[in-house]
This record gives sequence, structure tokens and C-alpha cells, in this order.
Amino acid sequence: MATPTYDLLESVTLATAASSVTFSSIDQSYGDLIIIVNALGSTTLEARIRLNSDSGSNYNSVRMSGNGSSATSASLASQTSGYLSVIADATTGEAILLKLELQDYAATDKHTSILARANQSATGTEATALRWASTAAVTAIEILTSTGNWAIGGTFNLYGVAK
Amino acid sequence: MTMTLIETITVGSGGAASIEFTGIPQDGKDLQVLVSARNTSTSTIFRFTLNNDTASNYTPLFLRGNGSTASSSVFAPLNNPFALEQTIDSYTANTFANGNLYVSNYASSVSKSISGDSVSENNATAAFQLLNTTQYSGTSPITSMQLFQTSGLFAEHSTASLYSIS
Repeated sequence: MATPTYDLLESVTLATAASSVTFSSIDQSYGDLIIIVNALGSTTLEARIRLNSDSGSNYNSVRMSGNGSSATSASLASQTSGYLSVIADATTGEAILLKLELQDYAATDKHTSILARANQSATGTEATALRWASTAAVTAIEILTSTGNWAIGGTFNLYGVAK
Repeated sequence: MTMTLIETITVGSGGAASIEFTGIPQDGKDLQVLVSARNTSTSTIFRFTLNNDTASNYTPLFLRGNGSTASSSVFAPLNNPFALEQTIDSYTANTFANGNLYVSNYASSVSKSISGDSVSENNATAAFQLLNTTQYSGTSPITSMQLFQTSGLFAEHSTASLYSIS
């Protein structure tokens, strides 16, 4: 019988609005991590990520985006948190679907790479590659907002992918 | 708690105009469909609906590259939104496009956000990559999914596998 390889490690549904959601004490036995976010923002905001509470200038990213009229690409270097996506405010009624993949997150001999896919037809679709300039194993992940809050009812699911 | 294969459908000889998953279990959080597709005609993208809803309740937006340029388009609500890339009859024999369609919180009673990622391959300089998002305004839990062609058929050996992520 096949072995399950995709395990739900933690699931958060917001009972109150919050500016961030943190997964902590992450099990180190998996190969990769996947995070699925389905949430509305209280205002137009950027979704960002921070690892191990590191607020140093250690986050670098390259993204390509489509907003329905043009396709663009941009990069951000030495950020204090990692850019994930722009999110329209709750008045659109459209939650963003954000898919994050953290490869080899428990390794201590390489910088952590993250692939992010953001989807919200009100703002666009984006694919972002991020690098966290640290060789520390990832033990905590914070999904935060640049301003405002994640709205009530937002869901944040963390999965471990067996290696 | 796992990623569970619900069903795999393989298109047989003669092709098929549609592929449908029905009776989707409601005990998962998200759905993922992995597709390998080829069209028997000239249509480079196949379409989808949820719960057989053919009203104009789907708002798609996409970002697409063809090997030389990239473009983005958004559409007024459609009744047959874009799903994923597929190869076409004139492409190199035996090439198929690959993609995944992801529906989050599919068993909820709110509108649904859908993500698509797909690539085609033609053993040539031009091939398509598609990143697309669709907002579905229907609020019923998703119990069925239809993948279909607007022209031509899914070619023989096209496959679609539906997974529940719980």
C-alpha cells in the first residue's frame, strides 16, 4: 500500500482579523513544505513571508505578473520580509489563493528557496521565486501583511511533503 | 490527512469531447487536477466548469508566454472559462501539454478561487506557458468538475487525475 506523502501539519482559520499568521515548531522530518492561503485582506495590501522571525534584510525575490492588460517582471533585493503578492481589499469579495512551496526547508547547507503562486482575478496572477539568505533550517513561518489585516474566515494550511 | 487520488480518467480510442469527475467527496480541503492533454484540432486551451454550472459565473485572468513574448488578459464573466494548455493536432506527434488546476476550500459555501499552471511542448521554438486564475462566484460546494473542448476532442491517451487534499 502506498505511503501518504502529503500531510497536514497545521490549519488555521481566522476567528478574528489578524495582521499575521505564524506556523511555529515546524516538524523537521519532511522534504518540502506547502502552504495554501485562501483569504481576504481588510484593505489593499501586500502579502509577505518571514522565516524564523528573521527581520534582517535577507529576502530577495523575482516575479512575473499579469494584471489583465500587461505582463511585467520585477525584482526586490535585501527586503526585511519576502514579497508574495498584492491583494485587493475585501470589497471585491474575492479571496486570494496563494500557493507556497518551500524546498528542502530543513537543510542547513543552503539558502531556502520559495516558489509562490498568487491568484486573484481582481488584481492579477503572479509567480514569484524567493530566496532567504540564511542557511538555518526553517522552524517557523509567518504569513504577514504589509498593512491592514487578513480578514475573518481566512484559511492558512501548512502541509509537509515526505521525502 | 493526505493527498488522495480520487479518480484517473484516460481518454480512449476515438477521443472524447469532455472529461467529467462526479460525486466528489466532501471531506477534503482542496482539489487538484493534474492533466496531460492534446487536442485533435486547433484549440490550444481546454475549458472547465464546476457543478455543471454553465452560467456566466467565472471571471478568468491569465498570464501567458509563447517563447518570445508574454501577455496578460482579463475577461468579463464567462460560462466556459479557460482551464489549461493542450497541444494540438499539428504539433509534434506524441507531445502532450501538462498542467494542474487547483481549487481551494471546494467544500465551502462561499465563492471559489482557482489557480492553473500549464505548459505545452512542440519540440520547436514556440510553446506556451499559462498561469491563470479564475474567480467562480458560485457558492455551492463543488461536487463535480467538467473539462471540455470548444472544438475538436481530447486526443487518445490524454489523462486527468483528480486529487483531494485534506
